[in-house]
Amino acid sequence: MDSPTLNSTSWADQVEEGELHALPPSKTTFDGSIKRVISYKRSEEDKLLKVVQTFKIEKRRASKTVAMRKAWKKFGAADSDGPGPNPATTTVNDEIFMNFVTNKEELNNQPEEDPLQKLKTTKMGMCRVCQGDHWTTKCPYKDTLENLRKELSAQEQGEAGAETPKAATEAGEAPEGPKPPSTGKYIPPAAREGGKRRGESMFTRKDEGATIRVTNLSEDTRESDLKDLFQPFGSIQRIFLAMDRNTQTSKGFAFITFFSRESAARAIQSVSGFGYDHLILNVEWAK
Amino acid sequence: MSCMKPISLLGHERSITQIKYNREGDLLFSSAKDTSPTVWYSINGERLGTFDGHGGAVWCIDVNWDSTKVLTGAADSLCKLWDTQTGKELANFENGSAVRTCGFSFSGHDVMYSTDKTMGRSCEVLFFDTRDQSQLENNSPYMKITAPDSKVTSATWSNLDKELISGHDNGALCLWDLKTGSMVEEIMEHTKGVNDIQLNKTGQLFVTACKDSTSKLFNATTLEHLKTYKTDRPVNSAAISPLYDHEAMDVTTTSSRIGKFETKFFHMIFEEEFARFKGHFGPINSVAFHPDGKSCSTGGEDGFVKINYFDSQYFEFDFEV
Repeated sequence: MDSPTLNSTSWADQVEEGELHALPPSKTTFDGSIKRVISYKRSEEDKLLKVVQTFKIEKRRASKTVAMRKAWKKFGAADSDGPGPNPATTTVNDEIFMNFVTNKEELNNQPEEDPLQKLKTTKMGMCRVCQGDHWTTKCPYKDTLENLRKELSAQEQGEAGAETPKAATEAGEAPEGPKPPSTGKYIPPAAREGGKRRGESMFTRKDEGATIRVTNLSEDTRESDLKDLFQPFGSIQRIFLAMDRNTQTSKGFAFITFFSRESAARAIQSVSGFGYDHLILNVEWAK
Repeated sequence: MSCMKPISLLGHERSITQIKYNREGDLLFSSAKDTSPTVWYSINGERLGTFDGHGGAVWCIDVNWDSTKVLTGAADSLCKLWDTQTGKELANFENGSAVRTCGFSFSGHDVMYSTDKTMGRSCEVLFFDTRDQSQLENNSPYMKITAPDSKVTSATWSNLDKELISGHDNGALCLWDLKTGSMVEEIMEHTKGVNDIQLNKTGQLFVTACKDSTSKLFNATTLEHLKTYKTDRPVNSAAISPLYDHEAMDVTTTSSRIGKFETKFFHMIFEEEFARFKGHFGPINSVAFHPDGKSCSTGGEDGFVKINYFDSQYFEFDFEV
């Protein structure tokens, strides 16, 4: 198709141009409502780069004036632009996220302020002597009341026999069974009430029930892809996509936590064995 | 969390000063500190054209209601009137100092602009009737208001062209009667310069953006202070969503402090922030809602204008009390 023009130039020019400048001509193809423009350019290292731009052509109904304005001729700096957006001035960016401040987060934030107020309102400690709002050592009635209390307790234990020290009586009672501690004495955890119970692990995972593991993901997968893929099965609480720290590409697996176990089960059923990119996904319960 | 794919418009070489939609929302006008104000198709981000002729930073831009004329004011002390379709200059108003704000009246016939208080000149707001050729040719305004001792930093026509609301660099808001040219009311609700004033869809309310880190909502006819939206940084621009006109109206604020360049959404009535997004590499200088409320645009110090189409989650979002 270019042959007439090529013939008109001398072969020497032709070779030079071919070596330095000539780029394959750009092509525009229409595939239904999709317009594809393939153009070529040279990089700084003189490598040939192929640029593929895909446009979607849409028809929209608009008011007369708007439609008229759409057909206006471009002017000013945009004078030489053809129809459609000029890629030099109009680009589509990577997606950005709009973060909603939900009430849930606000509820979580509130307790942060509370402890201070709590400290003000709650009692610092209780006096063993007068049950007042202060430490025992600082009790103003310490001298008077403590004697009184000793006398009283002595009277109660009168039948059991004389003035045995308090600690001794407690030691005697202990073997009979675990009793709620009445004094501030230290009791090892194993000896406390319910001491036989196994200790609580700090490793409790609340959302264990609704978490699924997706493996065999391709390198190009992003969190938003997973969101698109799994959103239809139910609302997602959390997506964790393992990324390579250096290359920022996916390591090939992800964990997705749903709000409900049913949606997770549905997701496993539907997506397991599903072909995504060029790989077949493997979806199972997270262990 | 919802995700949006903004359309980036790179036509300006310097920071954006103001962006504005026309009435139908199909055109987006942007002015920047370079010399060419630009008009874009908001639907796909296509550049329609530039209005070339200014010799300094363009501070403000406005379009009339039928989108036939564009008004720009610049630091070269000129205020120019353009034909939207062809980009040709229709009129040129010369002044002694930079033009800071400009606006078309509701009728589209009258124009207003304010000049800076520099070079020994006081800050003035000038009014022209574009139908009267003698006013345009002789540069003779039919009315001139001289601001007392502060500079007008933002202004808008109000109450069907009967009044003008102006925001000043000392935080004052003034209501002017345009029949007599006298000040009706002055209030000091802000403590620092008022960066932006935008009316809501019906023109009954307006929102201010102030350097004192607040944005406030006022009644446009009485200047009664209604609501306050607090942030932790200066607010450069604020707009009211036209879509949710009762309960879920939003106020968008942007801010300029290093590292915190976000557009925030506040619930208009409960004064609480409910969403935010980033998108610029620098402070955001101007925000505008599309008149249908389904997208908004931001113009930043980085020279980009971004058109953000909200996704379904934004519309489904229900503010819980």
